[in-house]
Amino acid sequence: MIRAHQLAGLTLLAPALLGAQVVQNATLRRAQQAYDNLEYRQVLTLAPAALRERLTGPERARAYELLGFTYGAMDSILKAVDAFKQVVLIDPERQLDPNRVSPKAYSAFDVALRQVLLVRQLRIDSSSFVGGQGALPIRFTVTQPARVVTRAVGSDGSFLIDSGAWNGQVNLTWPARLANGDPVPAGSYTVVVDARLGQNAFSASQPIRLSHGLVDTLTHLTSLPGYQYLPETEVPPQSWRPLGLAFLFTGGALVGTLGLENSSLGSGSKRELAVVGAAALVTGFVMTLRKPAPRPASANILYNHLLRDQIARRNQEITKENVARRQQVQLTIVPLPKPAAGGAR
Amino acid sequence: MRATAVAAAVLALGGGAAPAQEITIGPQVVLASYREVVSRLRYSGIGFGGAMSVRFHKLSVEAAVTRVKLDTTDGSAATTGFTATQVDAWVAYDVASYASLEVGVVRRSADPELDAQSMGAVRVGARSFYEIGPGATVLFRADYLAAPKFSGGGSASFSLDLGLGLDVRLAGRLHGTAAYAFQRINRKTNPGGTGEIDAPIQETVGRVGLALGF
Repeated sequence: MIRAHQLAGLTLLAPALLGAQVVQNATLRRAQQAYDNLEYRQVLTLAPAALRERLTGPERARAYELLGFTYGAMDSILKAVDAFKQVVLIDPERQLDPNRVSPKAYSAFDVALRQVLLVRQLRIDSSSFVGGQGALPIRFTVTQPARVVTRAVGSDGSFLIDSGAWNGQVNLTWPARLANGDPVPAGSYTVVVDARLGQNAFSASQPIRLSHGLVDTLTHLTSLPGYQYLPETEVPPQSWRPLGLAFLFTGGALVGTLGLENSSLGSGSKRELAVVGAAALVTGFVMTLRKPAPRPASANILYNHLLRDQIARRNQEITKENVARRQQVQLTIVPLPKPAAGGAR
Repeated sequence: MRATAVAAAVLALGGGAAPAQEITIGPQVVLASYREVVSRLRYSGIGFGGAMSVRFHKLSVEAAVTRVKLDTTDGSAATTGFTATQVDAWVAYDVASYASLEVGVVRRSADPELDAQSMGAVRVGARSFYEIGPGATVLFRADYLAAPKFSGGGSASFSLDLGLGLDVRLAGRLHGTAAYAFQRINRKTNPGGTGEIDAPIQETVGRVGLALGF
């Protein structure tokens, strides 16, 4: 008992939601009210009466939808299917939420969809790619097995995107290239999907705007991420080496002088050595106190050399890549609002 | 015995971790002492000179000219002094980061000409150098003086030249230079064919100066 009430509630919910839209026709409003009051007999009288009057497209779809839900509630499935077929023929994008309508109504709607040739849910997302290296994704649903021809129609002509037998969800891609490989001209196009099954045919379309742009070029590298140049000199630790070397060299000169002095000439003057040796020792002492001179760091120099080579090689590749990119075209495709829905022909 | 005196041995400065290409040139004050033949024949004096060095990668060329007025010292047997003019030149090639092989010439002349020995010789030797601090280089050299020629005749089978040098970059292009040289020449003469007698020559030179580097 509770489940029956829940189902009835669900059945009522969808038309009520639809009723949120403004209904101008009085008969249709009465039919909607009768459905809300579960007065199904009245609905079956008022809805057809409304359909005989002058209604807008959405109102006609709503009238058939009321009939479909009512027949579904009254277990007249075939009639419900017929009513829903009229609904989707008027509004092919109509979709029922299975969580908000009764299973009977939903299954009748689903059967109706399978019995009518429709191209629904044509979707084209914004896309941007380099000509020849990408494609525009196109999605749609065909409700019955049919021969489907997809084209892009623009002021510069019509370009075939795909032609084949499809059923159900269809995923296509359009590289937007001419037969000679060039990108199609920029401009406004309409992607038209024509489905044909025997005498039945259905068409859906989506306008798009295709624009050309320059392909971004790569900037040259000045460094490699994660790699940094190392200092090519290093300062050795402070030591007594300068003074030691000054002592060594001065001592060498003193010892050499003393050892080589001719005995017959006697010991010569040492003032010259004293002056120069003192200068060397003072310099050595001062240099010992000073910060040592930076020395080349051979490992770092080699590393930097390799890094520079690597960057130069990569920049050569970038230069080549940029030459190629400057000859390419960036295609940007944006879907435009639909002027009107497709329909059966 | 006639005293000859002279001046100047020259030490070239620089080397070691010096830049790949550099020229230095500048004046110097020269101290010198000179002995010849016997210990009582001795002179000393002060003069001036100039030195230049050119380095190109491992090759270096150095030259120096000095002029010293040598006077007799206390206790000297000489009665008058003389002026010595000396020209030195070296060409060196680095065989390691701290050592070079070098060849060169030395030419020393006395004025008045007969007051001291004038001589000339070829140098062959080696030098070692180290950079002991930023812009400071110390060097030591030892050269053999080959084929010496003397104005008074004679020969010298054993002649050596030792040197100590210092080059300090004081500021920017300005360098301070100091050099010491000791020269021993075992000259022998044979006056009148009476047999060889020793007539050695020994001098020490110290030079201090400034130089500009380019």
